[in-house]
Amino acid sequence: MSTGAEHVTESDYAPAPGFFDELFEAPGRPRAPASGLVGSLTRLGRDRLRSAGERRDAIFVQQGITFDASTPEGPTRDRPFPLDLVPRILPADEWRTIKRGLAQRVRALNYFVEDVYHGQEIVREGIVPWQLVLTRSNFERAAHGIRPPGGVWCHVSGCDLVRDADGRWKVLEDNVRTPSGISYVLENRIAMSRLLPELFAGYNVRPVSNYPALLLNALQAAAPAGGENPVVVVWTPGAANSAYFEHAFLARQMGVELVEASDLVVRDGLCYMRTTRGLAQVDSIYRRIDDAFMDPLEFRPDSLLGVPGLMGVYRAGNVAIANAVGTGVADDKAIYHYVPEMIRFYIGEQPILDNLPTWLLADPEQRAYALEHMHELVVKPTGESGGKGVFIGPHATEEQLDDQRTLVEQAPERWIAQQTVALSTVPTALPDGSLAPRHVDLRPFAIYGDEIKIIPGGLTRVALREGSMIVNSSQGGGSKDTWVLADGQGDAALADGGGLAPPALPGMRQAGWRGQEQQQQQQQQQGRG
Amino acid sequence: MLARIAHDLYWLGRHLVRAEHTARMLDGLFHADLQGRPDDPASVTLSWESLLVIMGAGEVDGPARRDDVVRLLTTDVDNPVSIVSCVNAAREGARTLRDTISAEMWESVNTFELQLAHRDLHAGLRAGPYSIYSFVKERSALFWGLTGRTMQKDDARAFLQAGGRLEAADMVLRMLRVALPPNPSPDGQETPETPRRDGNALALLRAVGGFQAFMRSAAAPPNAAPVARFMLYEREFPDSVAASVMSLDDALERVEAEAQDSPPVLRVRRMLADLDFRARVAPEPESVIPALRPIQQELERLDRDIHDRYFHPSAVVAQTVTE
Repeated sequence: MSTGAEHVTESDYAPAPGFFDELFEAPGRPRAPASGLVGSLTRLGRDRLRSAGERRDAIFVQQGITFDASTPEGPTRDRPFPLDLVPRILPADEWRTIKRGLAQRVRALNYFVEDVYHGQEIVREGIVPWQLVLTRSNFERAAHGIRPPGGVWCHVSGCDLVRDADGRWKVLEDNVRTPSGISYVLENRIAMSRLLPELFAGYNVRPVSNYPALLLNALQAAAPAGGENPVVVVWTPGAANSAYFEHAFLARQMGVELVEASDLVVRDGLCYMRTTRGLAQVDSIYRRIDDAFMDPLEFRPDSLLGVPGLMGVYRAGNVAIANAVGTGVADDKAIYHYVPEMIRFYIGEQPILDNLPTWLLADPEQRAYALEHMHELVVKPTGESGGKGVFIGPHATEEQLDDQRTLVEQAPERWIAQQTVALSTVPTALPDGSLAPRHVDLRPFAIYGDEIKIIPGGLTRVALREGSMIVNSSQGGGSKDTWVLADGQGDAALADGGGLAPPALPGMRQAGWRGQEQQQQQQQQQGRG
Repeated sequence: MLARIAHDLYWLGRHLVRAEHTARMLDGLFHADLQGRPDDPASVTLSWESLLVIMGAGEVDGPARRDDVVRLLTTDVDNPVSIVSCVNAAREGARTLRDTISAEMWESVNTFELQLAHRDLHAGLRAGPYSIYSFVKERSALFWGLTGRTMQKDDARAFLQAGGRLEAADMVLRMLRVALPPNPSPDGQETPETPRRDGNALALLRAVGGFQAFMRSAAAPPNAAPVARFMLYEREFPDSVAASVMSLDDALERVEAEAQDSPPVLRVRRMLADLDFRARVAPEPESVIPALRPIQQELERLDRDIHDRYFHPSAVVAQTVTE
């Protein structure tokens, strides 16, 4: 161990000026909920943090928790998923606000999807323009008039949240198609508790491990009525998909089959999977594939990943598909702009979580403003996800700005502009074990079964490059274990085990044998005598 | 269970067993080859060309050099039956099976491939391939040990087992054909008991790790014919053809809903009866070696039956809706 390694973390760490740091309020002054964690990190020291990082990489490679990324040096394969060793802390009261805000938002989005494909009341009220809805790339005519069981469309959703320079939570975007990342939430927690169990000391962190059970319940609840034990499957585009690890993970955790298109077949208005004993009926499909690829008869005829005839089975109510077909209309980035008004319209409440200021570029006035201020805005294509096609004004050259202006003017309805956010920072371990501020976002996950449940925490993504705000794992981002602290943190009653502890393990009961032993000794002594 | 998954499990078993047996064969024969002297009746004489043909690795121009053959069957990534190719294929297959096999099994396959890839295999081969072959044997033993310890005894395991045992039977037959080639005498009759093949038989027995088992159970010296009988018919030796076919029968019985109408089950039972019959009615040693070919052909048909029945999508709606 090198000298001076013991005291690096606390004294060396300086939050980046101008940003909200979630663990430190000032250099050397941890926020109250983080003081225990900072103390543990200080005691650990730089060397042990570094060696824990090396162990982490070895374990992830061994377990195959890896991904393929594009780096400046070219594409790399089988890189260990970069889990940062410093967890992020969300105190109970802060989490309560996020949770309520998310549930409210998911409920409104669900109402919206239902409304779009039925009465279109929100359009008739003049709140959302019909023209805008119709032109969304993920609006599906095929979903018109379908009523999924229980009225649930968005069974699984994840909203991306960020904190601005004042620490206020803002919604960056909604993901109600196939949000990914939950497997890393679960794996991160397991990895952290193995690598650095001492960090958990003194904290009561709410568990995340019940996610698969909640998801399975929601998928079973969505199955067409009548079945005793509904058969649920996870549908993956295949092993080449970047999120395949997660698909397999969820299938394994739920104990259901992971199917590909070639495993599914439609016969006589029902959906079956091909098994070694013939065809077996499928009731509920958790699909991790886009609408457009699901059924070549209904959507893209060139899709090799689809199941011909599946939409017919779905429309007849003989199979459940989660998320429902057509939900993509609600996670369009132009629709995002209207979510606060949806909440007021459908639920009659004020939004708990705010949107970021957004400009719809289809609107001439807003477009004019955005084109002029493009160097300070983020411009996003409306129908994409995963950071595809996002243009960051402050980082662009004059030439790039002009190119982007041209793109916007060619098809303004396909773009929105958003204010740049000064993302909050959390201390993050560098390869040498020292800490430095890095920018983070948060994607909590909601499951809509009988009711809306939010998994405590979610996926914290962190930009590992200094100053970078790009958190996508495909572009050099990592993740952090996210701790939601339980209510009554530090309460003695919780630490006690609540009287549920089993009796102490018995020791070996030797009394009976001792007698024999003594007898034997006596016999031996007598023999000698 | 899903037909695709069953197929991948079956081939995971086949690839791992193929890698292991290739390692065993090369290890055994390589070391025997080093020790042999042409004038010693117990020495080993091998045709490396015929080894390539029997392993289905194609032919080489002119006489094959030992080192070329060893490299072709060990490290050549362009040769689909080389050890490295088999292990790569096993790992790629296991990727899609991660929700089916246990996490520890997956990790053992994953690290198998990674460690093999990180070794300097060519330097290893030059230095003597023993360390590579023993590594392959150890990792295989780890995988199958973990299978026994951590995998539910369900249809999935049965398909893994079926693939593994079918491959083992097939590989042992190939090894016998390499070590004990039919050797027609000038009058056209087979003369199996030529002394020069006894050395080969002993090397083979050591390669499959069966020397002690043979010495304890067979009342015969480890010469060609008794060793061949042992490797074919000895049901109590786990790597014999008969034991593998029995194990296949167990596996198919497990996955089969209607055994009496099932072509693979019927065929595997015919094979069992046939092996039993051959072992009983033909005690004379000469009969062993000509039997190798028909048994291997029957295994090939069994493999086709298994593919047709379980892995090809059938139009019939299953009686059992849930697994």
